[in-house]
Amino acid sequence: MSAVQVEVQGLSKNFFDQSRGEIEAVREVDFECRSGEIFGLLGANGAGKTTTLRMISTVLQPTAGTARVLGHDVASDPVEVRRNLGFYSASTALYPRLTARETLTLFARVNKYPAERTKNRVEETIERFGLGDYAGARIEKLSSGMKQKVSIARTVVHDPPVLIFDEPTVGLDVLNALDLQKAIQELREDGKAILFSTHIMSEAERLCDRIAIIDKGRIRATGDLEGLRAATSKHYLEDIFVHYVAGNDAAEQETAPQEPGAPTPPPDSIEGRGRTPGAPAPPPASEEDAPRSGDRSATPRQPG
Amino acid sequence: MDWTAIRLLYLSELRSAMRERSVLINGILIPLLMYPLMMWVMFSGILFVTARFESFASRVEIAGLPAEHRGILERLEEDGRTEIAEVDSPPAGAAAAYREGIENRLLAGELDAALIFEASNDPPGNAAVSLLSNGSSDQSQTARSRLERALSDERAAWLDRIAEDRGLAGAEWQVFDVRSNNLATGREMGQFVMGMMIPLFFVIMIANGCLYPAIDSTAGERERNTWETTSTLATRRIHIVTAKYLYVATMGTVAGALNAAAMVVSFRSFLGPLLARLGGGDGSGLAFELPWGSLPVLLLTAVLLGALIGAAMMILAAFARTFKEGQSMVTPLYLLVVFPVVVLNDPSLEFTPPLAAIPVVNVVLLLRQAIAGNLLWLQLGIAVLANAAAIAACLWLASRVLRVEEVATGAFEGNLFKFLRQRFGRRPEEARP
Repeated sequence: MSAVQVEVQGLSKNFFDQSRGEIEAVREVDFECRSGEIFGLLGANGAGKTTTLRMISTVLQPTAGTARVLGHDVASDPVEVRRNLGFYSASTALYPRLTARETLTLFARVNKYPAERTKNRVEETIERFGLGDYAGARIEKLSSGMKQKVSIARTVVHDPPVLIFDEPTVGLDVLNALDLQKAIQELREDGKAILFSTHIMSEAERLCDRIAIIDKGRIRATGDLEGLRAATSKHYLEDIFVHYVAGNDAAEQETAPQEPGAPTPPPDSIEGRGRTPGAPAPPPASEEDAPRSGDRSATPRQPG
Repeated sequence: MDWTAIRLLYLSELRSAMRERSVLINGILIPLLMYPLMMWVMFSGILFVTARFESFASRVEIAGLPAEHRGILERLEEDGRTEIAEVDSPPAGAAAAYREGIENRLLAGELDAALIFEASNDPPGNAAVSLLSNGSSDQSQTARSRLERALSDERAAWLDRIAEDRGLAGAEWQVFDVRSNNLATGREMGQFVMGMMIPLFFVIMIANGCLYPAIDSTAGERERNTWETTSTLATRRIHIVTAKYLYVATMGTVAGALNAAAMVVSFRSFLGPLLARLGGGDGSGLAFELPWGSLPVLLLTAVLLGALIGAAMMILAAFARTFKEGQSMVTPLYLLVVFPVVVLNDPSLEFTPPLAAIPVVNVVLLLRQAIAGNLLWLQLGIAVLANAAAIAACLWLASRVLRVEEVATGAFEGNLFKFLRQRFGRRPEEARP
């Protein structure tokens, strides 16, 4: 069995908003990700995916719980975590006035790739992602497809064992999205541990070895696609997702009047955990998780 | 400290800046070219206006010129820029009508100036002279100046002749023989002029040089969505901020140093020839040369000011999420820095130790003293310490501010003052993260 590269235990994040008070964006999230595995976080917009991944990438500090990347704790050893991590998201743009080659060199060097091998590594990366013709052009001059390739290249240029892709295909056309998915699959074959968040069912089905369904800051179920099918007796991931999310909504309505400390209902998934009865429903996550439009999105709908 | 990461990020910021038009214009081109250009325009303008006036042919009429003062005519003819119409004194009874006619012609622009003599011959040669001109016309003013000069020269020559006839030396009848003696050399006078002007523009240019980079490296990063990219780099956040701070301070320092150099060159090339008449007491022309000893002070003050203004601007801009927000947050500081410099640009202001303890003001006064070749070591020491303390305070505040996740990620809504109110104000419940 391959090595565990990312361990997340009881990870929580609260935000304070002057008008809404304390907001629990992520609550007691647990999972792990191994080498050569794509672990998907599937959730609606505002479910807490981005906040979770930002905590793992050390952009945000957890309120509670731990996350470790190759044994390095995100709170106490953030520099080592970042050295072993490549983080890609729609909100991690490139420096527009640097060229692709300068960008890759900067990221390789600052992320502690050995100086004497940086030049070769940068050229290899340029070749691997087909950036040769554009490597000397400023990022601001590149098309969105080329920018996306440079973004992936800068994520992997320091050869990190763990990669995070947070909704990477948002805003891309179909062909560019497929290119990106292909690149992620190749990285899995290279033995990388990949955390992948999406709200697009087809992407999760195609790419992920294991999937965690996240809703309102909590993980409702975790497993491979076959396991989730067996647990829910549903074939399509969309239906499986609705089963957990809508089921949870109904459970919330039923349990809402209960007092804290009331009996906990049994988990309804293979690795799932129900919400603490009586606990207030968590409001939507951070602003960056605010609802966005998307194709076949995982926005909860009423079962019909 | 991870100096490798700081160096890489610093160089990367500088490289980016050199490719950004606004940074180049504000940080390099304006400080370097504005003053030579401004001085050249001023110089050319003054030359043009002077040449225009000098080339005017003044139309003057002289009535009743006494025979013993024909020298006036000779002087004007010698000058060659005056068209003279000489007429006899109007007959008694027609003087008022004649004068009215002259006035009408002056107002209509048909004549530039007129001299009307009314000889009294008591003592012989004396006369009352009316010099008529139109103050609202440049051409008439020039004609008036030319006539005044000719009259003055004629009077001096006349008095000399009388004195000579009576066997008197000039000093005996002039009462005062004024011998003006300017002790300053042309070089010292040049340093005085530079001391008044360079510090003022020096501060403005340093603030200008820091302004765009401070906003660009903070609010600009958020606006471009590159802040998160930067914060995933494998180095501590304080190292990222240090690199950015060094970049902002460098741009401010470079802008100040370039500006000072450009001003010295401009003064020498354009202002020097223009003010050549105001030479020093040693007979030398006005010279704009910086004493060698002032150069290290100039560099030191550029570094101190760049570091101080850069740090202050970055703290303010750290709260902005867009470039526009950044501009509105930083601009008041820009004005705050420039205002006292303008107000305190008084040559009589003495650089005392208490003034040396006021950041920005002390730099201006220190620089003025250094340009004048008069370095006050105590004040220099106090100024360096005061600015270093202010820089340290700004950096401490910056590190405290950027440690707060909401500020670092751009989630905080408000400016520095709202932040400080929330942290240290009366309602601590609002200060929770």
